[in-house]
Amino acid sequence: MKELAKDIMSRQFHTLNEEMSISEAVKIFKSAGAEEGRKLFGMMVTDNSGKLVGMLSMYDILLFIRPKHVHIWGMMEDLDISGMIASSCAQARNVRVADIMTSEIISVTPDTHLLLVLDVMIKKHVRRLPVIEDDHIQGIIYISDVFHHIVDQLT
Amino acid sequence: MGTIRNTNILSELVVKTAMRRQIVKLPPEASLEQCIRHFIKFKVNGLLVSDEQDTITGVVSKTDIMGAYYARLPIETPVVDIMSSPPLFCREDESLEQVLNTMRESRVYRLYVHNATAKVSGVIAYPDIVGVLYTYCRECPQSRWQHNRHSEGSGGPRRFKVKEIMTPSVTTFSVYDTLMTIMEGLSANKIGAVLICNQEDQPTGVVSKTDLILAYRRGVSTDLAASQIMNTPIQRVNQEECLENALQQLIFSQLHRIFVFKGEPDNFVGVLSLSDAARMHSGSCRACIMSRIRLEAGNAQE
Repeated sequence: MKELAKDIMSRQFHTLNEEMSISEAVKIFKSAGAEEGRKLFGMMVTDNSGKLVGMLSMYDILLFIRPKHVHIWGMMEDLDISGMIASSCAQARNVRVADIMTSEIISVTPDTHLLLVLDVMIKKHVRRLPVIEDDHIQGIIYISDVFHHIVDQLT
Repeated sequence: MGTIRNTNILSELVVKTAMRRQIVKLPPEASLEQCIRHFIKFKVNGLLVSDEQDTITGVVSKTDIMGAYYARLPIETPVVDIMSSPPLFCREDESLEQVLNTMRESRVYRLYVHNATAKVSGVIAYPDIVGVLYTYCRECPQSRWQHNRHSEGSGGPRRFKVKEIMTPSVTTFSVYDTLMTIMEGLSANKIGAVLICNQEDQPTGVVSKTDLILAYRRGVSTDLAASQIMNTPIQRVNQEECLENALQQLIFSQLHRIFVFKGEPDNFVGVLSLSDAARMHSGSCRACIMSRIRLEAGNAQE
């Protein structure tokens, strides 16, 4: 049985640069997802030297896109909601990935045991974990891959 | 007593109606950089600092962050070093009128909300109050929206104009002024944004506290010129515009303030902020105020 992080991590991955604007990042979410053959809900962020500096999730982006005071304006049926979203998206052009990413990085090494990977994901409420060795990104583990790998053993 | 109930919206409405329930919190050791990311991502102007036992120990505002930028504190500084404490609280069942008074007296822009069990249940700031007033205005039989729908052309009560509510002064700086100078101006005048003029003295952009804290996070030197971080175009409104239209524009552009011009679009004469609108203690037309005056006169006679 495959038991270590390196056995199930995805070696084909894309990263975002911290200096990119949010709109550029969204484009890469889409294109990278298509290339990797999965829907991406979060990506690793690197600096210019390629070092991992944070994670940007779909949720981080949605939080930013959500119009201010939406709890009040959302009740008004005759307001042009698409106009408000367009205005949010316009603001996204001035904001960079590093401005809203999560910088507290939780990562594992290629030799971390799979059950420990699972434990970290559950305790820290994360769905994807970068795999790092000597400051270099080796891959990324998705919670769905952990699940399918373990479920395969059950069946 | 039915008339009394409908006259002063703000004493009738309680905090619970207008507050936001999402509370953004950080641990005391969180860095200023992390704090700035939260401000931007959650679109808030203040956040709470709470320890591991979830005890609230302080509050950090964009102004505090700007102060740290001005003092050239390292971006890794923990929030506990710059937070103010304790935060000011109000209760869920307090009237908006009371809350506005507390905010004015304590010179703060937001209050955190305690529920019956003394837990933090929300936060309320000027824009929240304007927002809830605005929804009431729209439903009011006197409102422009209702008038347009039912009886076109009839005047209704006189509407507030932007010029009656705005702060009638504008602070301007040059594109060559340093961020240091601009921060001094913002803090001396207790304002959130300034206009930036080019070489020909034409207004070309805006620098707000948000722009400054973003610059801080990105490591921009405070000795650089305003032109490096200013925002364009300037969001503007004619001083003759109806207040409710200006409010709608503010909400749509997700801004806290808008610059007001008179005649020529570059002739800026004031600033309209959501705080100004909230401080008016009434809706967007005179109908509320008129009935309040009538009521007060009536009471005096009794």
